[in-house]
Amino acid sequence: MNTPYPFDEFFASGKAETVSPFLRPRSRPWGKNLSLKSSLLAALLLFFAFILSWIHPSASHLCLATVYFLAGTPALIDSLDDLRNLEINIDVLMTIAALLSILIGSGMEGALLLVLFAISGSMEEAVMQKTKSALISLRQMAPKMALYLDKNGDFYQKAVSEITVSDRLLVKAGEIVPLDGRVVAGSSEVSLAHLTGENLPQPRHVGDEVPAGARNMEGSLTIEVTRTNRDSTLSRIIELITKAQDAKPRAERMLDRFGKYYAMSIMLLSLLFALCLPPLFGLPFLGHEGSIYRALTFLIAASPCALIIATPTAYLSALSCCARKGILLKGGAILDGIAACQAIAFDKTGTLTTGQLSCSAITPLFGNEGDALLIAASLEREVVHPISTALCAKVSGQSLLPIRQFKSLPGFGLQAEVELGGRWQTAYIGHADYIETKLPAPLLEKFKSWRKESGPKAAITLLLVEDRLTLFEFEDQLRKESAPLIEKLKKRGLNLLLLTGDHEESAKQVSDSLGLSHYLANLRPEDKLDKITELSKTAPLMMVGDGVNDAPALARAQVGVSMGKIGSATAVDASDVVMLRDELILLDWLIGQGKKTVRIVRENLTLALAVILIATTPALLGWVPLWVAVILHEGGTLLVGLNSLRLLRA
Amino acid sequence: MSLDHFQGKNVADHLRDARLKGSYASSEMHGSELPGHLTAAAESAKETAALLLFLATLGAPLFLMVLLSLAWTIWKGGRSAIAGWAKLERLHRVIEEERYEIEHHRQQEKEELIELYRAKGFEGRLLDEAVEVLMADDNRLLKVMLEEELGLTLESYEHPLKQAVGAAVGALIAAALSLTAMAFWQFAGLATFSFLIVAIASSLSARFEKRAILPALVWNLALTFFCALILYLL
Repeated sequence: MNTPYPFDEFFASGKAETVSPFLRPRSRPWGKNLSLKSSLLAALLLFFAFILSWIHPSASHLCLATVYFLAGTPALIDSLDDLRNLEINIDVLMTIAALLSILIGSGMEGALLLVLFAISGSMEEAVMQKTKSALISLRQMAPKMALYLDKNGDFYQKAVSEITVSDRLLVKAGEIVPLDGRVVAGSSEVSLAHLTGENLPQPRHVGDEVPAGARNMEGSLTIEVTRTNRDSTLSRIIELITKAQDAKPRAERMLDRFGKYYAMSIMLLSLLFALCLPPLFGLPFLGHEGSIYRALTFLIAASPCALIIATPTAYLSALSCCARKGILLKGGAILDGIAACQAIAFDKTGTLTTGQLSCSAITPLFGNEGDALLIAASLEREVVHPISTALCAKVSGQSLLPIRQFKSLPGFGLQAEVELGGRWQTAYIGHADYIETKLPAPLLEKFKSWRKESGPKAAITLLLVEDRLTLFEFEDQLRKESAPLIEKLKKRGLNLLLLTGDHEESAKQVSDSLGLSHYLANLRPEDKLDKITELSKTAPLMMVGDGVNDAPALARAQVGVSMGKIGSATAVDASDVVMLRDELILLDWLIGQGKKTVRIVRENLTLALAVILIATTPALLGWVPLWVAVILHEGGTLLVGLNSLRLLRA
Repeated sequence: MSLDHFQGKNVADHLRDARLKGSYASSEMHGSELPGHLTAAAESAKETAALLLFLATLGAPLFLMVLLSLAWTIWKGGRSAIAGWAKLERLHRVIEEERYEIEHHRQQEKEELIELYRAKGFEGRLLDEAVEVLMADDNRLLKVMLEEELGLTLESYEHPLKQAVGAAVGALIAAALSLTAMAFWQFAGLATFSFLIVAIASSLSARFEKRAILPALVWNLALTFFCALILYLL
């Protein structure tokens, strides 16, 4: 083994056997879905026990004993653990009922309880993803080593965790900046798209700050470290996400809340019947007509087969339907959260917009436009840059102009000679500061006045060819489905807002296009988290995002929804729902599905309780034998299962 | 670096097998679960054959021995699984403790690493660079500390369930052969097959563990015969 074992994955899985570093790789699949396989085997043996009970009772008992061993032992361990923590819940009730059923000769009914319980629990475990993220992707994104510059001027690899403030590091083109620092030599452009949501790479020169996690584009930078690994931007985001996850209200299943009260009530009632029936009705304590026998019968008949499957079958059907639509939910209880949400906060770049720049305007500032677009594209074709992609897309299909003497100045712009009408002319394209240094004297003052009047612009580039200056403006394209989605969500009466790390102008433009009433711009990850925390206090909130900068907010929101294709792995890790195909329009459908699931779970619980009441009361009064009560009881189980299957329909 | 020395494996695989060899050689044999489903099967077969021989020596009827064999097979498989999972749980705890040490006592871990590699002959700048490279990646560091400091070998154990199946199959085969022989040839048949199973199982175990086969074979047979004789004489 030359590569280190992925221990992060092992710990993130909760030390699952399927990824245990000590087991041989070919041996690990033996531990896959073990509880599900065991419960299915128990179900099969129970079926044989039932069939054999008519033919060969001893063999039937053998099968039954095996069922109790396979399904009963894990249930007993869990129940003893709950009792040790003084927690009386529906699982404890079920286990006690199953074991006591042997005493009154109803071993088959008890085994059925155990099997249903085992199957429902293991199916949930098998299909649901772990909700707790170990932030593997974010830790992997942060470089472990950096090129350290020592006092002698030599560069060598050093662990990032060993680097202190004021140390100097070299960050080459294409590398991720390992630690927060200040540029001391070199110039380049850095991409902060996944950290702040800004589409356009930002120039960085001597004296500028660069955050850890930024991607260095073309040039090389020597930086002086200003914050160590413990305090770096990425470490702060990790800390924010971890704190947000801890503060997030746990999505408790309806059955868990209701189950505690139900279990306590049934146990108390059984005790009451056992003690009070003799003095009230003159019944004996012992014997088949005795109060203790009836109380045990009541306890078993009231045991919640239908209740046990009411929620998992509904969740599983809903999850299955969502998966077919390309939506991955990391737990069934998230559907409850989705149904409860009253507000939705959207990120901008990559969520409501595609994250791709497009050239929205070409304005000649000095001289005429002429072939400005072709010239610009001919130069930009030589580099990898979002602006280059946008310009080349605009001239798609046209033949570009021949160029020579091409030069790229990272952090500034491009320069080359372009052939125009048989004559070679020098062209410059890039930032305003760079173009200003190339302008002929007569145009310089006019340009400075224009800059002062127009103010800072979000995404632009300037092309200078002799005395012709052309301004290119770019904007982030809205997704086609963003506007129809917002309209549908407004009809649901949801409160909608935009939270972005991008500039005010960009945020306002998108907000106005979509008719969103509220927006907040220039937000850092901690600002987004604070806003989500504040809004969550008033009403349950859904957050939709895709970048690393959204991850803390996604983790904190009642429900975090991330974009699976365009989104960063960190956002996907931190969120509860992943839109695998980035089909944002399905968000409205998802909310509807959540509300439908909650309705069906309530119907299931009502149905299960009604059947229990109908089955147990006659049994308690001695009007019907136990086996009739159990049949009625199982009929309820079937109805609940069928009702849940309605959620399979999209 | 000759192919003969590494027996056709690459250096990393060779090092792993060497560490495995070391851990087997130094592990406590008495009452412990041998790794591997095959060795589990061999041991289980040996024990089952011996047990049936002892029962037959005491005059137990065939029907009783059949019932006991069924329960014994499930017992052997279950015990093997429980022991295997217990060992896995212990190993996982060790790895968690070591990870905690790396996260919270990094400087001490670095000092341990320096000492480990100094003992291997690394010095000066080479030692510093080697330690820096290892400290840079937590996953790599954890692996090195598990292997170098604790002497554990990754990816060397079979799943407890696989070992359990091996043990159960071994017991089942031994019981089936011995009891079938008893059904046809009474005690003589059972005794013959029991000794045969003990002999084969001992030889296979010795072979898997790369020990001398003849002493293992003779000692196991002698022990089985001796115990059976004690029961007969008493």
